[in-house]
This record gives sequence, C-alpha cells and structure tokens, in this order.
Amino acid sequence: MNDCPNAEIRDQLPDLIHERLEVSMRAAVLAHVADCVDCREELELLRGVRAVLVTQAPRIDITHVVAALPKAPAQRRRRQMDWRIAAAVTFLAVGGSSVALLNRTTGVTVGNGVPPVAPVIGQATPLASSAANAVPANVAPANDSQARPAQVVASANEQAAADVSPGGRFADLNEGQLKALLGEIDKLQAVPVTEPEPVSIRVDAKSPAAPDAGGGGAAHDR
Amino acid sequence: MTDPARGSGGSDDRQDLELIARWKAGDERAATELVERHAAALARFAVSSGERNEVDELVQDTFVRAFNSLDGFRGDSSFRTWLFTIERRLLLDRRRSEKRRRDKTEIQEDDAATEYDALDSMVADETQRKLKHAVERLSPTQREVFSLRVAEGLSYKEIAEAVGTTEGAARVHYHNAMRAVKEFLDE
Ligand SMILES: [Zn+2]
Repeated sequence: MNDCPNAEIRDQLPDLIHERLEVSMRAAVLAHVADCVDCREELELLRGVRAVLVTQAPRIDITHVVAALPKAPAQRRRRQMDWRIAAAVTFLAVGGSSVALLNRTTGVTVGNGVPPVAPVIGQATPLASSAANAVPANVAPANDSQARPAQVVASANEQAAADVSPGGRFADLNEGQLKALLGEIDKLQAVPVTEPEPVSIRVDAKSPAAPDAGGGGAAHDR
Repeated sequence: MTDPARGSGGSDDRQDLELIARWKAGDERAATELVERHAAALARFAVSSGERNEVDELVQDTFVRAFNSLDGFRGDSSFRTWLFTIERRLLLDRRRSEKRRRDKTEIQEDDAATEYDALDSMVADETQRKLKHAVERLSPTQREVFSLRVAEGLSYKEIAEAVGTTEGAARVHYHNAMRAVKEFLDE
C-alpha cells in the first residue's frame, strides 16, 4: 500500500470521513480521491480502522453514569436554600413557643408590652390561620417583596405553626425579634418552599406548659 | 452505537456549551444529553489507550470529575477534547496505582488475556481482525494519536491538547502510525 505524494490531501482524509471539512476543501479532496488510487485505498483503510475501534469499545450504561454525577449547581443552591429557610422557620417556631412559655411561666411581659396570648381551646385551625396572617400584618413593612417570604413560610407551614402553638403564636415574639428573623429570611432571597417536611417540630409537647394548652396540645399526639 | 456529537465541529461545540449552560442553570436532563453525546467516544479512547478493565468505571469517573470541575472549563478547546484530557489523566493515575500494586503482588496476566480474547471474538471479520492487530502493534502514543484522529476525527491541535504534546508531534505520530499499519497489512 503506497502513500499518496499529496501530503496536504492525505492529511484531510480523516476529516473527510468525519464530515469536518469546509465545503470547498471537501470538494477538492473528493475530486483528488476520485483520481487517486492511493488515497482511495487509504480512505478504505481509515474507514476499516474506525469501524474496528468503534466495534471493540464496550457499551456504556448512560443512566449509570448520570446517576453518579453531582447535582446541577442551581439545584444544589436551591436545596441549600430550602434548608436555610427551614432552619429559619424552626428558629421562628421554637423561638415563638419559648417566648410564650417564658411569658406563661414567669409572668414577664417580653418586648414592648405585647401581652402573652391566652390559649384558645379547641380552635387550633383558626389559630393557625391567624398565625399565618398575623405575621405580615403585624410585622412586615409595607414593602411587598419583604412581606412575601413570611407569607410563603407561614402558609407552607401552617400545620407546623399549629403544632407549635400551645398558647405560643408567632405574634408572641416581640416586634424586634420578628423583624430580625424576617430580615434573615429576606437575606436568603427565598423561593417558595415546596417541601415543608423539615419543619415537623414537636418542641413543646413535653413542656410543663403543655397540659393547659388545650386544643393546641392535642395536635402533638399524632 | 451512533455518535450524536460528531459532525461539523463548530455547531457541536456550541451545542455542548449550551448544554453546559443549561446544566449550570439546574437542568439535570442536560447532563444526560452530554453523557449521551460523549460516553462512546470516551470508551473508544480508553480501549485505544490499551485499557481493557472497567472501561465503564473509567468513563463514569471522567464525567464525575468533569462535572465537578465544569467551572474550570473555559471552552478554549472542545468539550470532548477536554473530557479526553481528564480521562487520560485518570488513566495514568490508574496505571500508576496498578503498577504499585503489581510491584507488591504477582502479575495476574490471565484475567487480561481473557478479556482480550473476548474483544477479539467481537471482531468477526478477518480483515477487521487484521486491522485490529495492526493498531494494537502501534506504540502507546501512536495508538492514542491514531485513534483520536481516525475514530474521533480530532484535529492535530485537539489531539495535542488531549495527549499533552505539540501539533507537529501529533502529526508525525499519526503519519508514522499510518505507515506502520500499512506495512503490517502488506506483510
Ligand atoms: Zn492521493
């Protein structure tokens, strides 16, 4: 098998079989090959080698490979965000209950004179929804973008709010505390939380205040 | 397996860049598409580089490493060339650790021979078998360069990037390989 003396054309032969030539160069190579036995033989050889190399490579299980890949960056960020929001909500809920507890057990009024909220017996649901509505109404500034995260959190975790409200609504937090927490949530540039599962808090179930919590306390037994 | 990513160079590269951007924006399906486009080529390159064991694992590791360091991919070379570079580095690491292990224990040539025969039987045609042996007789560098040029259609520049050499050296390796293959077939 001889080498064609036209080195430039020979160099293009692999590109010809891979369709990587510009139109004019492709036409020139094809014209040359039509008249050149050496190049035709080499072309045939290249096709044969290519076929061998393709045949002998094992098949790769695409799904197996994909399963091992890291999550897309935006997905990762979202996941992190969800957890940070969940953490903030946890803090909010636990904090709210604790303040309520503190109010109840010590009789001390926290913050700027907001009185401790009396337990509403047998009204867990209205209480929960009022907690959801109360947060933006009481605390959020007129700015809608700031108010939204609180609403999102509150509505997505309405049941959680009910769970942690044996006499302790979010309103039990003083204004400063709530503003600080909402500020934190705002900094997270919250997206709506679609997975509220991290917020199953049962903090006050066994607290001393639980027995007189009435309807709110019953929710803990589930 | 067909090779969806090959064709006229530019648009493939652009498509890869688009898929990478989509993945970075959170589209997990873009990752699947990227794997589909390049997995077969990586498997071929692994085999051409003389790797016979756990090629699928090597390909997987290559993608995992690539996706973990996608921020380092600037698009100066094609995505596929970049993948070859990563795969080759992993392959060298693997060989180094295998060599260390072999230095401690006896060489188990039997296993390698078995897999080799299995591959051999896949190439049923006599001409193909002869071509296969011709390629196998090339030096490791010649074989790498030759297969990247013939099976993948890479330019000498891309080959130089993938195997860490110069464009001129890649061209010389290719033509020496071609000459050697022809001589073997003429014997
Ligand atoms: Zn010619």
